[in-house]
Amino acid sequence: MKTAFKNSFIYKNPSVLIFLSALAILTIGMTILSEGFGVGLVSTSFIKILGKTLCFCLIAIAMDLVWGYCGILSLGHFAFFGLGGYMVGMWLMFARTKDIVINSMVNAPLPPTPNEIRDAVGSQIFGVVGGSEIPMIWMFADSLLIQLLLVILVPGLLAFVFGYLAFRSRVTGVYLSILTQAMTLALSLYLFQNDSGLRGNNGLSGLQNIPGLTEVSQDIISVWFLWASAIALGLGYIIANWLISGKFGSVVRAIRDDETRVRYLGYTVEIYKLLVFVITAIIAAIAGALYYPQAGIINPAEIAPIASIYLAVWVAIGGRGRIYGAVIGAASVTLISSWFTGGQIPNISLGFYTIKWIDWWLVILGFGFVAITLYAPSGLGGLFDRLVRKQVNEESK
Amino acid sequence: MIRTFLFLVVYFVSVLSVSAQQNDLQSILNQNSKAVERASRKTLQPVLKSLIDSKLKEVPIFLEKWRAKKVWIRKSDKQFFYINNKNSTPIKLIDISSGEIVGLEPKNKLKQLKPNSGVRSIIASTLVQFQLIDIDKNRRLAALKAIERDANSSHLNALRATINKEPLPSIKARMLRLERLLTIRFDENPTKRIKAINGFAGDTNVDVRAALNPILQTKIAVSTILPEDKNIAKILKVGDSISTQVAYDILVKNKLAPAQISIQERDKSLIANIKNSEIAGIKTSTLDNEQSRIIAYQTLVKIGAVPDFVTNEQRAKSLKEFVFFNQYIETNKTVTTAAKKTLDTINARVKVFSFIDLGLDGLSLASIYFLAAIGLAITFGVMGVINMAHGEFIMIGAYTGYVVQQFVPNYTASIIIALPLAFIVAFAAGVALERLVIRHLMHRPLETLLATFGISIALQQLAKNIFGTQARPLTSPDWLGGSWVINDIISISYIRVAIFFLALAFLFLLLFILKRTRLGLEVRAVTQNPRMASSMGINPDKINMLTFGLGSGIAGIAGVAIGLFAQVTSELGSGYIVQSFMTVVVGGVGNIWGTLAGASMIGGLQKIIEWFNPSNTLAAQTYMIIFIIIFIQFKPKGIVALKGRAAGD
Repeated sequence: MKTAFKNSFIYKNPSVLIFLSALAILTIGMTILSEGFGVGLVSTSFIKILGKTLCFCLIAIAMDLVWGYCGILSLGHFAFFGLGGYMVGMWLMFARTKDIVINSMVNAPLPPTPNEIRDAVGSQIFGVVGGSEIPMIWMFADSLLIQLLLVILVPGLLAFVFGYLAFRSRVTGVYLSILTQAMTLALSLYLFQNDSGLRGNNGLSGLQNIPGLTEVSQDIISVWFLWASAIALGLGYIIANWLISGKFGSVVRAIRDDETRVRYLGYTVEIYKLLVFVITAIIAAIAGALYYPQAGIINPAEIAPIASIYLAVWVAIGGRGRIYGAVIGAASVTLISSWFTGGQIPNISLGFYTIKWIDWWLVILGFGFVAITLYAPSGLGGLFDRLVRKQVNEESK
Repeated sequence: MIRTFLFLVVYFVSVLSVSAQQNDLQSILNQNSKAVERASRKTLQPVLKSLIDSKLKEVPIFLEKWRAKKVWIRKSDKQFFYINNKNSTPIKLIDISSGEIVGLEPKNKLKQLKPNSGVRSIIASTLVQFQLIDIDKNRRLAALKAIERDANSSHLNALRATINKEPLPSIKARMLRLERLLTIRFDENPTKRIKAINGFAGDTNVDVRAALNPILQTKIAVSTILPEDKNIAKILKVGDSISTQVAYDILVKNKLAPAQISIQERDKSLIANIKNSEIAGIKTSTLDNEQSRIIAYQTLVKIGAVPDFVTNEQRAKSLKEFVFFNQYIETNKTVTTAAKKTLDTINARVKVFSFIDLGLDGLSLASIYFLAAIGLAITFGVMGVINMAHGEFIMIGAYTGYVVQQFVPNYTASIIIALPLAFIVAFAAGVALERLVIRHLMHRPLETLLATFGISIALQQLAKNIFGTQARPLTSPDWLGGSWVINDIISISYIRVAIFFLALAFLFLLLFILKRTRLGLEVRAVTQNPRMASSMGINPDKINMLTFGLGSGIAGIAGVAIGLFAQVTSELGSGYIVQSFMTVVVGGVGNIWGTLAGASMIGGLQKIIEWFNPSNTLAAQTYMIIFIIIFIQFKPKGIVALKGRAAGD
């Protein structure tokens, strides 16, 4: 029994338990302090920011797996994130519009037929892009279950096809990065079109209103989503650690360090890379599906290549090659970013010029990021590591 | 009664016999005085005809004065006069024939003729034929232009009468051409029309197409048997070249078949027949699907409250009894055939020309991509460094141009200053970036990518903080404004021509630097094998710095060029960065020819895809990127791949 425990990956990765308990304390603490369930010390908007940050942490874990462990600098994972959001958004928007339409037709002389409801929903949703037909891709939008499946299937399939093509022709390094960036750009340009069937640059909106739960206030829903995001993040953390601790993880890390040598050892490198790519794409999509109901709106600009580069920046700042590094990076950058751009810090007046933090935050982030790349290549997680190791060393003395 | 009748007879006889009586202008006008006084579109034509038929030389002047509301009538004797200044008291009357002042009258004894705008435009078009023989060639040209804009059948004869009197060959040629165009449109003799139509074979000007297209206009007609006497363009097959619904709607419109009951009409009838929330005994609450609504409606049909549905069988049966065809509005078959033939030759040529135009567009886009990407290609090829801040160097160049224009107001001079200055500024920025950041990240390409991205967002935000978020203009000098128009289809703006030559200049300059100078030799040596190069006495550090500066400097110049046709914003460069990367990757890294090939392919391809779907440039970009992703599958090293050791791993 004891040896079984010693061989289990949780024993090998003590960070899992620490992380999970920290996450639990945070979530329970915030619930107690929230407006919806607790004493109301923490505002609903902050709960939402926290929930969204947890989603970012989840996608950062995916990014860390694919880049930090497998060496594929993907500049396309935010596209999967966005796709996941779109899939869930379709249901949210369709079902809610349908509810509204049915309510508005209650007093009509004849009860509405399914066709009439469909037409009314179509013109409600697609009126902004000058249409009223419901496109084919909305075929399953009425069913939550199928749309949730699509959250996994659509990004997974895209990642599979793209990854298959890219890895098969052995595109590596910066070429692969540029290729993933091209894929992201193509997707976002496609979605920007009005006839893409996803409302062009209007995107999907009103996603914070959950169909059937219109009576429940946002104070409570925000806490539910905080819990959902926390659970997803916890599971993601466990799965990521489990993946990298076994033999699979060793092969993946070996591919990062010397792909050719792994190939000579008889491993089919492409399959490992493809697996990592697809799994992380799915994790990213799930994160997106949890994020956008909290954000309330999704539009193609969110998928633009720059978002994926920011994702890489989070992971690099947090320290890649460490799962907790990714989490630290994503959480710290997004929280500090929303702190700076939220106008909470007073502007500094120099007499001749006023430093507005909203204007200067990106400059600080940009140069700060360069500094971290130059002077602390292992990121914030590296600092954390050094502290822990010091302690361990002192204890062993 | 009899007096009125007699008056009318006299009136009409006088109108009809104007030319026979051959009087002076005043008497012609007096004969038509009512029609002149209260001119309307309907009554105007006979008056104008009698005026023109009189062949009096005062007529054009009168018409012009009439149009300008300067003709007045004396109430006492219904005599017409010109009045140039209506504010003088008393008013000076000018004789309409001699042009001399013939009397003075107070204003209240006179009445001004105020033709409405419709009448004035008819007068104007009548005037054109007089202007065509004017002594002033500018007025003749203006008259020609007026006919070209808005012609009617009367102009044809006027034009034919004047062509041989025209002294200037250039105007005469134009008149001849216009005469043929008008012949196509207004002549009644089909032989003449066909001759004119055939004469225009292969002429791609828009006016020819505008004259020919109306001849080929068709309308859908329906008949029980195919008529022999009509000029039929095409017989329409129901369900194939005309949809069943459209065909049936035509039948209904012509009252040849009973109207169908649409879903809206059906529901309207249902609602109209609701009594105590029941329709003919059926509860309305059960009518929440199509099936039950149809049944309810049929119940109403049975009690005779509403007309029955038209079933599909009935519809098909009605349609079978008729034949549908496209009928030319032009009745003469030989004319339509000739027009169709000529238009076909024209369209074939238009296609060739628009393909050439497309080629020019593609070339211009390719040269923009080349300019944007070549700097990147150099740094990427020589140092293996991905510079995400490359777009920001383009932006720096554009803003340099903008700042120069703030100090040097002469646009030509400012561009001449801005180009080298942009190079210097971007070169300095590039060298600084290389010294401070990139040098420390050698052999870690992915980290370089991210670090330069950090620089990129910082520089973009800095530009926003300095210049604001609104777009700044970079104005091109006048000699670069406008377009080079070859014909109605092929045209290209001079800025794009200039950018093409700029790109060409850089191509040769870079080839010269790399192949013929000491610096180029050292750069190529470092590209191929840095260690060997350094043991041969080359300082790779210095070469890297200079190369990076050179690449950045060229980006700065590209920024000035791009800023000239796009607005200068802090996002100017980032819009080109992905395309630039793809240009480099598709072309093949480390090779100027490769970049040229990549830029040509991407630019040309994008224009070709846009050609298929001109309304949607976003879709064109999407498909192009997908194409590139697939292309890289088959040629991962790009079009022009380095071979041997230089290719590295």
